Amino acid sequence: MSEDLRYLLRSLAEADASAEAPPEVEVRLRKKFRSLTLRRVWRRTAVWGPIAAAIIGLIFASASRKPPAAPVKEAAHDALSPVVSKIEMPSPISPTAPTPVRRPASANPTTRQAEIVTEFFPLMDPAPPIGRGQLLRVELPAAAMQMVGLPVHEEHLSDVVHADVLLGEEGLPRAIRFVKFEIK
Amino acid sequence: MPSAEFLTDAAQRRRTEAMNESDEELLARMLRGDEHAFTTLYRRQQGAIYRFALHMTRSIAFAEDITQEVFLALIEHGRRFDSSRGTLLSFLFGIARNRVWRRIEKEYRMEPFATIAKEVSDEDLLHDLTRRETVEYVRQAIVSLPPTYREAVVLCDLENATYEEAAAVLECPVGTVRSRLNRGRAMLAQKLTRYLVRTGYE
Repeated sequence: MSEDLRYLLRSLAEADASAEAPPEVEVRLRKKFRSLTLRRVWRRTAVWGPIAAAIIGLIFASASRKPPAAPVKEAAHDALSPVVSKIEMPSPISPTAPTPVRRPASANPTTRQAEIVTEFFPLMDPAPPIGRGQLLRVELPAAAMQMVGLPVHEEHLSDVVHADVLLGEEGLPRAIRFVKFEIK
Repeated sequence: MPSAEFLTDAAQRRRTEAMNESDEELLARMLRGDEHAFTTLYRRQQGAIYRFALHMTRSIAFAEDITQEVFLALIEHGRRFDSSRGTLLSFLFGIARNRVWRRIEKEYRMEPFATIAKEVSDEDLLHDLTRRETVEYVRQAIVSLPPTYREAVVLCDLENATYEEAAAVLECPVGTVRSRLNRGRAMLAQKLTRYLVRTGYE
């Protein structure tokens, strides 16, 4: 390319370097983005809502079946009264296969109890971004595990399992993970 | 209840974080419904898309429409982006290119090529051109190139795309980009020769 042509092209590139779409385009696009996002949320709710509702139903059903609170030794893990704790989400939830994570659970020095938790299973797909949430420890029938795709033997469907339900800031269940206690 | 100040700080922090994120990270967040991510991505890339459309069509109205259509396509079909096939900007240029071609074909059907080619006539070359006029003249000369050569010149010489990036956008081998670019530059030089002589560059 000749120097002259290079110069002329550079002049044009420099003259137009700051050329951009007018702000109205951004306004229109953001409006469209909001409306499409809202539509997607509604569509997700239509698909995942019944599943979430079924899990919530199971939560309440299992809570109402409970006998009056008896003296408990390990209050921290008994779900007769659900334990609510504020948490910060480390990262967006991804629907991956469960990989057990060991966590120290009991403060009791004589019996060492470890929690094995699965990954979070999103109750909305794709999982919306979440900054803060609440973790609700509950007891559920094992059928709830089947609802998120985990294999459960027929005869164990009515067994009680522990789970952590992640509630979003708006109070809707976003994800669930299952907990198993291992006493050593 | 968080204070308004807290919310402002949080929003500010989110914006700062978004500025440092890669296009791919922003796109992933955008697809999860994050409007801040979309806005950051839009502000980062819209200029290049707008200029590409402007240089290809020489119409501000078209450039605006095409920019809007490109980002609308990103909102609706952003999941189609495959980072193994090129950068997000190449992906956006590709969408813009398809839109531009549709417009050009429509325009050519409405207006004979000769009318468009007439934009760079001998009379124009004889005008006493200032720098601003020079720029306008080069713009006209570029838009009078056949679209195949025009897009190679616009991408490589005005938007500084590499041959590889241009090849990804134009969906052709790098060698083809080189040859189109050389041919486009030669045609451009021919169109500008009289202007260069007149203004004493040669």
